[in-house]
Amino acid sequence: MSRFGKGKRGPGAEFTWDADPGGEPDTAPTPLYPAYVVPYARKITSKEQAEVDKSRRLRELFHEGPYYSVVDASASSAKKGSAARANFDPFTGMPSYSGRYQKKHRTIPRISGIGRDYETRFFPRELWQIIQPNFRPDASLDGYQAQSNAVSNKRGFEDEEDEEEAAAKRRATGGNEDDGDDDQNEGELLDGDEDAIESIADDDFQDDEDDMGGDYDAEKYFDDGGDDYGDDDGGGGDEEAY
Amino acid sequence: MISQRIFSILQRYERLTLPRLKFHSRLNDRQLRHALAAMIQHHLIYHFTSLEDGNTYYEANPQAAYYLVRSGKILQLVESRLGEYASRLMEAILYLGHASVSELEVRPELRSRNPVAANRIKHEEEDPQANGLDVEEEPATTNGDHAVDDKPAPFHATLKALASHGYILRVRDAHFQSPSDNLLEAQRAVAARSDIKALKGKKQEEAIKERAQELVQERTSGDLTQGLMYNGLPRGIKRKFGNGSVDRQPQNHHNGVNGDHAEDEEQQKEEEENEWSEDEDGFDNIPMESGMAVRVNYEKLDVALRNARFVDLAQQDAPAVTAELYACLLRRVEYVTPRCRDAEEIPREKEEGEQFSTPISVQTLLEDIDPSMDLTGALGPADPSQAMNRRGKRPLENGVNGDYDDADDADEASSGAMRAYLVNQHLGLLSQPPFDLASSVTLSVGPSKWRVGFRGLARKLRHLELERMIESRFGDVALRVVRVLQAKGKLDEKRLQEISLLPFKDLRQTLASMQRGGFVDLQEVPKDAQRQPSKTIFLWYYDADRVCSSILEDTYKAMSRTLQRIKHERTLEKDFLEKTERSDVKGHEEEYLTEGELERLQRWRNKEALFLAAIARLDDMVAVFRDY
Repeated sequence: MSRFGKGKRGPGAEFTWDADPGGEPDTAPTPLYPAYVVPYARKITSKEQAEVDKSRRLRELFHEGPYYSVVDASASSAKKGSAARANFDPFTGMPSYSGRYQKKHRTIPRISGIGRDYETRFFPRELWQIIQPNFRPDASLDGYQAQSNAVSNKRGFEDEEDEEEAAAKRRATGGNEDDGDDDQNEGELLDGDEDAIESIADDDFQDDEDDMGGDYDAEKYFDDGGDDYGDDDGGGGDEEAY
Repeated sequence: MISQRIFSILQRYERLTLPRLKFHSRLNDRQLRHALAAMIQHHLIYHFTSLEDGNTYYEANPQAAYYLVRSGKILQLVESRLGEYASRLMEAILYLGHASVSELEVRPELRSRNPVAANRIKHEEEDPQANGLDVEEEPATTNGDHAVDDKPAPFHATLKALASHGYILRVRDAHFQSPSDNLLEAQRAVAARSDIKALKGKKQEEAIKERAQELVQERTSGDLTQGLMYNGLPRGIKRKFGNGSVDRQPQNHHNGVNGDHAEDEEQQKEEEENEWSEDEDGFDNIPMESGMAVRVNYEKLDVALRNARFVDLAQQDAPAVTAELYACLLRRVEYVTPRCRDAEEIPREKEEGEQFSTPISVQTLLEDIDPSMDLTGALGPADPSQAMNRRGKRPLENGVNGDYDDADDADEASSGAMRAYLVNQHLGLLSQPPFDLASSVTLSVGPSKWRVGFRGLARKLRHLELERMIESRFGDVALRVVRVLQAKGKLDEKRLQEISLLPFKDLRQTLASMQRGGFVDLQEVPKDAQRQPSKTIFLWYYDADRVCSSILEDTYKAMSRTLQRIKHERTLEKDFLEKTERSDVKGHEEEYLTEGELERLQRWRNKEALFLAAIARLDDMVAVFRDY
């Protein structure tokens, strides 16, 4: 018996990389770009294409429809200090005349006034006011406490600031929320063309005056003495009080 | 997008009352209420008003949300079954969530049967895009065919056809509550009944359970097929074979009929009715109860889609005629199958009993199939040896067989019998392994009937899907190993190697990679208390259920990633796409866009179609693993 077992291999022979000239040794580093079979998807068949077109069409319908609404992320009317406000792009976010044809998104689903009548019994009682604007919850009290009253009950852990602000606004405008006059409504998509232009003209800048606090406000900078074009905006007139 | 936020919050926090929902979603009251109303209209959330505390709870309805993915398939299916107009009606119902018959009737896009006109109306109102798509992608079929005629749409007939097929159902109050709420409420109602209160202990529990099930059934069933079936056939089905042609394209069929009566308005109308109701004296045009609200019946549509899948399977290795016969059989079965399975969950492998469909007699099938269909072409000559082979299956057919041999010279009387024999032959072909797509029931008297074992077939589909995936991921060796494991159960490596006849090296590599992928797993069976590895048996096993559920999760994930990818791709092209969506450009793309832009738009559409088709394919898998 020789020192190295059968005498064929020296010490450390099991670690050499050329032990097996044909194949990859176990300890070799993995190749950087291993041969890789890229799987290809099958071609779309005509049936699939038809299905896709149909679903796309339906999606389009939904998006054009009255219920589709976005969270108004890039408006300058967003809450101070919120992420939405930070994301506002003052360069392209500013409304311009050519923007009048731009696709508009509503910020609130339109439920009533679209020519549909809803089956009231399918909806919970607290939403009846939404689907039937002339429904008065207090009118039909038969010993049953309407749910909408319970909403205002504070539970302590709600967003205090939010509530206060909303309350203050409500007090200031002197109307209740369902009047449709509050600022949320301005973002809503309006139907007529004139309305569309108007909605651009009476942009939400002036809302900022409510809660001024920052030292410098790029939008505000150009907005001093804005009263001279304040005559144009009929819709936002109620804001001028402050 | 407001709805998206509400939905995800409801998914995360389960059920919430309005104040809590408001708190979590950071939306204002107005947004929240309007969005909730819209979502309820679309059945995307359940609501439940508790009688005890008077609160209304909202809960997400993930099923309804998921089925939005399948809407394209559903519309395509309806179109292929009942024609283009039915598909548009279905689209309107989908779009409206649920809608009353009277509301649907006055929808402008459903007034005329001419889709172009409908699009034009929509174009003024809301939806020019659809028009643009149509013009570009199916100019030959829809627009070309219907460009001439403009007559009142067969609204009521179509709605009835949809209803009798079970594709739509009546909306009930219980549909707005989650299934568990429904069950609990039913249980409470049942428990309050005096005859139940009289029972004691276990008996009472059982009775409550049973009655509550019944009550839920009764409250949620919105079946409209009752009373609309005619000789076991739904309305509107006649038109398929009405002309005695093999025409499978409803649009073409449409076209033919329209072309025939293009001149006289009055006569047109009459013909129209005749097309739909040949022997029912215009019954179809009697409107349905106008106050009734209808919605899409996804369960039933799943049955139809599953059947389409089976037909695809049959087409793989059976002649076209056979597949067509099979489609007839399945359609007959579909009319009496309300849902894919009764159990909520897919039962575990091997614990699942077979559940056969209603047997359908050959005679019924013969009435259904097109009389001019060539049954003989695909089959070999009926030589005695073949007949002998098949005799084991259907001993009753000996006589028929004899008839056939004599009737080669087209004897009128025996031609019916011959066709019946041929139908049996075709279906016999399908009843062969590996798929066992149909099976025959032989009654003691009368001709044999055919039925479909759905549970076994659904299982087969699942296995095929898994095997396809395993083969593409791990190669054919893995496929063999999995099949061996499935047939033999748990095996140790040595036995596995002996059975699968594979070299140890390949086997081990494959097993290891499959274990890493979670497809096979190892069980330790220690021989002594010390659990020494040397004295432990290691058994490989393959648990199809577990693999199925993990694949299902993966598929969901893949779908969501594809959707995210679409979104991302959209943001890459955002500026351009916003331009094409401008209200003045939309619908007039050719006018306003340059050639390069048009090309770019087309490229984008093709790309999006690829993604959407990928999602549709993933949805096929989800259907196999979850719904069938």
